[in-house]
Amino acid sequence: MKKEVFARILIVLFIGMVILIFVLGWQKNRNQQTNTIQIHARMPENGGWSITSIAAETNQPINLRLTSDDVVHGFAVGKSDQPTVELIPGEFVETTLLFDEPGTYTYYCTRWCGPNHWRMRGTIEVQGEMAAATNPPPLYLQLGIDIDAPHEAKVTPREPVSPQKGASFAEDLPAYVFEQETYLANSPASVWSRLRAEPDLSALNDGDIWNVVGWIWRENTSPTAIKSGESLYAENCAACHGETGEGDGVMVRDLPIPEAEAHDMYDSHSESSTAGLTRPHDLTDPDHLLGASPALLAGKIIRGGMGTGMPYWGPIFTSQQIDALVSYLHTFVW
Amino acid sequence: MNRIDLTRFPTINLLLRSRWPQFLIRAITLAGFVFTILAGLFGPVVGSHNFAIIFVWIAWWSALKLFFIPFGGRSWCSICPIPMPGEWMQQRGVFSPTGKGFGLGKRWPKKLRGNWLQAGGFLLIGLFGAVTLTSAKVTAIILFSIIALAFILSLIFERRSFCNYLCPIGGFTGLYAQASPVEVRVKEKQICAEHSEKTCYTACPWGQYPLALKSSADCGLCMECLRVCPSDNIMVNLRPWGSDLGQKAKHNLGDVFLGLVMLASVLVDSAVFLGTWGQLKSAAYEVGSLPWLIFAGVFLIISLGVLPGLYSAAIWGAVRVGSAKTTFRKTLSKYGQVLVPLGLMSWIAFTVSFAFVKFSYVLPVISDPFGWGWNLIGMSGTASIGQSTSWSGWIQILLLVIGLFWSSKVTQQISESKKQALPIVAFSGLFTVSMLWLLIG
Amino acid sequence: MKFQVADSDLINRIKNDWWFFVLLILGLLIIFVPLPQAQAAPIDRHLRIEASMYQFTPGVIKVNKGDKITLDLVAMDVVHGLSLDGYDFELTADPGQTKTAAFIAEKTGVFRFRCSVACGNLHPFMIGKLQVGPNLMFIRAMLLGILAMGAAFWSLRKPFSNLKEVNN
Repeated sequence: MKKEVFARILIVLFIGMVILIFVLGWQKNRNQQTNTIQIHARMPENGGWSITSIAAETNQPINLRLTSDDVVHGFAVGKSDQPTVELIPGEFVETTLLFDEPGTYTYYCTRWCGPNHWRMRGTIEVQGEMAAATNPPPLYLQLGIDIDAPHEAKVTPREPVSPQKGASFAEDLPAYVFEQETYLANSPASVWSRLRAEPDLSALNDGDIWNVVGWIWRENTSPTAIKSGESLYAENCAACHGETGEGDGVMVRDLPIPEAEAHDMYDSHSESSTAGLTRPHDLTDPDHLLGASPALLAGKIIRGGMGTGMPYWGPIFTSQQIDALVSYLHTFVW
Repeated sequence: MNRIDLTRFPTINLLLRSRWPQFLIRAITLAGFVFTILAGLFGPVVGSHNFAIIFVWIAWWSALKLFFIPFGGRSWCSICPIPMPGEWMQQRGVFSPTGKGFGLGKRWPKKLRGNWLQAGGFLLIGLFGAVTLTSAKVTAIILFSIIALAFILSLIFERRSFCNYLCPIGGFTGLYAQASPVEVRVKEKQICAEHSEKTCYTACPWGQYPLALKSSADCGLCMECLRVCPSDNIMVNLRPWGSDLGQKAKHNLGDVFLGLVMLASVLVDSAVFLGTWGQLKSAAYEVGSLPWLIFAGVFLIISLGVLPGLYSAAIWGAVRVGSAKTTFRKTLSKYGQVLVPLGLMSWIAFTVSFAFVKFSYVLPVISDPFGWGWNLIGMSGTASIGQSTSWSGWIQILLLVIGLFWSSKVTQQISESKKQALPIVAFSGLFTVSMLWLLIG
Repeated sequence: MKFQVADSDLINRIKNDWWFFVLLILGLLIIFVPLPQAQAAPIDRHLRIEASMYQFTPGVIKVNKGDKITLDLVAMDVVHGLSLDGYDFELTADPGQTKTAAFIAEKTGVFRFRCSVACGNLHPFMIGKLQVGPNLMFIRAMLLGILAMGAAFWSLRKPFSNLKEVNN
């Protein structure tokens, strides 16, 4: 009988120990995290971020403990220089955010995790004594550009454009060419038409005018900007728009190609004709891209939508990043 | 008699006879069981970081097939914690019986006897395998349901009815224990015949009578008979592998069915988990969806239609060349034992292919069992992708070839002539080729 | 399992069991004898492998020994990787960012490649196969299987039916 009692005590002891380890560990784990916000990343189909809004104050550190529950995700805060954190399934990463300006910040997933990847976003509401800085509205709104309107280029170059050759005509060009406003607000095709109409340039052939336009576009950007645009494009755009810009990215593989005759996906008619979404337009198609001004492209990137599934990047990219991206986009057709 | 009686060695005798070693191991496995359920329910959802997934499906499931069964038959059953709570009630003692316990003590219904339910349970595991294997919560829920079911059944039925007739793992280990090198037998049959009390039968949780034991399939190696025999007439033998197989072995249709279900399961598991067909994997995973229904249908057709069909065809061939006395039904059962070495070696080969690659997951989950970012033994984050090497391929080939040799040999032993053995050996050969193709091809 | 074997017994056993040694030698021959294989001239191959949850497309790749293989890994849905058994070769690709690397298929045989970046529940089972040259291992395994069946027939040639109770 003594043995039996001892045996029962042992059983209870062993199981008790196991439960105790569990409970104590649980508690300890909790206590460690009183000042920490734990966020689980999941594919958007499975719920996305477990927390989608965080309230904070300026200059108060936000401690985050991040992990992924399914696939590789990434954590980054848009329009800020907080470092990007890679989230490996089952592993925890801790990071601290600090904001010195009040405002609404968006955190987002940086690694593609399915067609709805871009929906993985959350907001951080930062309160502070300072008033939130008001940014000027983006250029496309200032200029009143309708980014949903068709924007086909009326003219396109017949030969490859060479900005180098265009540089040699720099002295002959009218003054407005050197204003950044001209570059931002006009499509390459319209700049070409305007230059073609200049009597001073009548000596130049059509190809040379295109070379001049190419040169203007090159002058308004920098190799570093294009480089940064290239990497932004690869990380954020290529999965749909294709690595070469042809609109054949892996995420849209199964979608129908946009109707050829409409030739503009922003046409409200084509929207109704397709039950769902279509592939994005071919960015390497000069007809399409040379008719778009940098301000218009920036507008599309900022606002997205257009009934196409294009995400809105306004809360995420800084204006420098958008400029870099736009200048990289135009390199597809040069 | 090429047997070694382990009870002749005083130390081993003491270890087997005393209840303490077994009790302590079972107490630990019981606590481990509780721990696994907790980790499964509250641990990380990422399978490779969850203690429950890794311990049940990589560590334990592999150990069972690589170690417990081939070297100890039903040795796992002797330390399995699942019947423990129920037996505590039944016997009113967790250590040893202390008088009349709770429970109705009913006999298991005759219609439900045999291996049929176990085989069905194993099929179910297979149908939901892709989910169970990857979802810690499901694993924990299954473990909990099993222990709860075992407990409830112990209150209704006598002895280890759950283990005997329901436990799918019991079916698995029991089937292959026939090939194992361990057995419990009586020393002198005469002594038993003269002993009228049959203390061993009364004490046996498995409802076995040691004198009548012909095979190790139903003996759980719990050593109760050894402990209670007044005449010290029980021996625990080491024996050559496959001793239960041969002419004398008694077999019934249930065993054949179980053996075929195991063969089908190892084929399907190899195709799903080691194959290159992603759609098959997804179909097996999305329980309830149309692809899953198709997968389940194909699985059931293979295990209930194709393999039994091929086997029956082989038997039909064997009956035709056999003497006039042989009936189809009898032959069907008789050759069931051929499936034992064939299946056992295939399961071991599958395990080598499967578990060796994933073994690096084991230590990290000990280090961080609940996925809270602990690092108890400094092994967190050491999991690697793992790779199979050519020698693991050769091990698989040798295992499968040994299985084929062994089953062919058993076929020979129980056949009337070489000609009669031929169709059955062809069946084994065909199965081995499919396994080779899945694992090595 | 017999513990005391007299010398004469041993000789007898060798006499009776000579076939065992023959089988053993045959088995070793099957495993180790180099088989003639047609050696195709190495070529450059550019392969595109699409990785999605949970498969590689194509899942089986056959090349010849010595081929220079340039692999494009295209992730179709989430981040995937490719790690090739036996070769020190690994790639990781994000959707939209195809990764390319090259290696020379020097080793013959069948090699599994696995996804190396956790990509969901079935990630551990995301597998593809690279076959370099003919799959000799499989052929040898089949021969061994035939040998095993033959051996089983042979091993019981003498004591049939009622005689074999001897060693029980």
